[in-house]
Amino acid sequence: MSARALVAAAALAMASAVSAADPKAGESKAAVCFACHGAGGNSTNPVVPSIAGQPAQFISTSLYTFREGNRKDPQMSPIAANLSNTEMNDLAAYFSTLKPVASTHRASADNAQAGPGLAEKFKCTQCHGRRMLGQQHIPRLAGQQFEYLRAQLRGFKAGTRIDLDAKMSESAQGLSDKDIEILVDYVAGLGVQ
Amino acid sequence: MIKVLAAAVLFAIAAAQAQDKPAAAPPPSWKQGMTKEQTESTLHPFAIEVTGKAAKDLPVDKLKVPPGFKVEVWAEGLPGARSLALGDKGTVFVGTRQLKEVYAVVDRGGKREVKTLLKGLESPNGVVFNKGTLYIAEHHRITRYDGIESRLDNPPEAKIVVDGLDPDNQPGHFWKFLAMGPDGKLYFNIGAPGNIVMPNYMQASIMRVDPKTGVIETVALGVRNSVGFDFNPKTRELWFTNHGRDWLGDDLPNDTLHRVSHKGANFGYPFCHQGDTPDPEYGKYHSCKEFDRPALKLGPHVAPIGMRFYNGKMFPAEYQNNIFIALRGSWNRTVKRGYNVMRVVLDDGGKVVKYEPFLTGFLVDEKADPPMWGRPNDVLVMRDGSMLVSDDQNGIIYRISYVK
Repeated sequence: MSARALVAAAALAMASAVSAADPKAGESKAAVCFACHGAGGNSTNPVVPSIAGQPAQFISTSLYTFREGNRKDPQMSPIAANLSNTEMNDLAAYFSTLKPVASTHRASADNAQAGPGLAEKFKCTQCHGRRMLGQQHIPRLAGQQFEYLRAQLRGFKAGTRIDLDAKMSESAQGLSDKDIEILVDYVAGLGVQ
Repeated sequence: MIKVLAAAVLFAIAAAQAQDKPAAAPPPSWKQGMTKEQTESTLHPFAIEVTGKAAKDLPVDKLKVPPGFKVEVWAEGLPGARSLALGDKGTVFVGTRQLKEVYAVVDRGGKREVKTLLKGLESPNGVVFNKGTLYIAEHHRITRYDGIESRLDNPPEAKIVVDGLDPDNQPGHFWKFLAMGPDGKLYFNIGAPGNIVMPNYMQASIMRVDPKTGVIETVALGVRNSVGFDFNPKTRELWFTNHGRDWLGDDLPNDTLHRVSHKGANFGYPFCHQGDTPDPEYGKYHSCKEFDRPALKLGPHVAPIGMRFYNGKMFPAEYQNNIFIALRGSWNRTVKRGYNVMRVVLDDGGKVVKYEPFLTGFLVDEKADPPMWGRPNDVLVMRDGSMLVSDDQNGIIYRISYVK
């Protein structure tokens, strides 16, 4: 009997109706998020991402991966561990309605020029979109915190940052350290609209 | 002009850099088989809502069934709900692919109670119930849970039917559908390891295993990715759906419905698609004439998953022995289609005479991204003759009944 197949205590839920995702309910649980992700979900901490205005499906999927252990983080894992699907959907609904503010980051002239070509070459734009605004379960990268973005790309390349379908891990394999610096500098300096 | 020059310089720099760097990343597996021209395509598979979505947040009132039928939400809160199986005591078992759960839904007088029955499984897509036992197909193994229906809150330990089915743990079509044959054997698929690649000798197949002995046999070969099958109650023949390859354009190849009418059937993958279209790369190795042809072309890229013969007592007589097929796509075409439950009518000889939509309304805008709000995944005929349809995009199960 493999440990993977350990039977869990049956979680019970009356499922005749699931309540609609409720931004108000999300807001009432958001105080703990603001502490790190910044007022209104716009981070000023270089290692913490902004989550304001991110696609709702990206936020709920991220919380899910923290809860299920696909993605690990000393701060986020324990916070997500106790969230139900409904709470995740409420938080996603709330944060997706907040107005994103770009970071104050400005890309160097060289990187601003080289960035778009690299983003095409490594197919970043195919999923994140030409202006890196994200869609569905794919995050907005434009105007995101520089250090956070760099840590993610390095993690994807090293295989330590897992995504659900491994698309990012595969996509990051060909990136050199220099590519990562250029891409991250370029993307962090993009506008959020 | 300056812009053009700058672009040219950039390109030259990028090209020069590329030479003294490691090779670019291999494409994600769903991109495998693209032509050079297609590498800029923005087509992509759609991700499910892993936390589920509430019916209240969805336009479920847009769902349509033929006159006299009714469709309603039967249960929700089952993220990733895919394959469906019915227990002797009425429990509906629900498998998942992207998640690790198997659910059990118990009907309590008009209200459905959803239990997370099992957790931590490896893509437990296949579920089938037979003589008190629930069988589950994961990526790598098939297991059995005896007496499960009287132990829904305290399930027994899994017993292995067969293990080691996915030795490499690599990307590929290795999640499994599971069906119990009239011969008492468990039928399951091992898909192709990529979009269009030469499979090894156990891959791109439908197999069966005798749960009593564990002995495995090959049922059909040349099957790229089948995640739905059923047995014709009249003839006991196996029928199955199959996903054709991607990146051959909007209209080729069709996904297909197949009938296994003889031993040693081979449906052509990777050499021949839809029975008549040689693969641009592998077609030179075999002629389409060597292979069995599909019973029906279902439409290009429409991603047929679950299929069941209808032999319930609720729908009008003309629905007897019809096949219902859930289409979960398309994504690999610029103008989307599918996302319906389809009805296939057979004549007495088992020949297809009609193919038409039965449940529609998930597809909203064929050019939008995403084009749909829900995706039918499996169908199940209940004892009262009504039909359940799972939607793994949202984690919802719908019920279709005939009310006149």
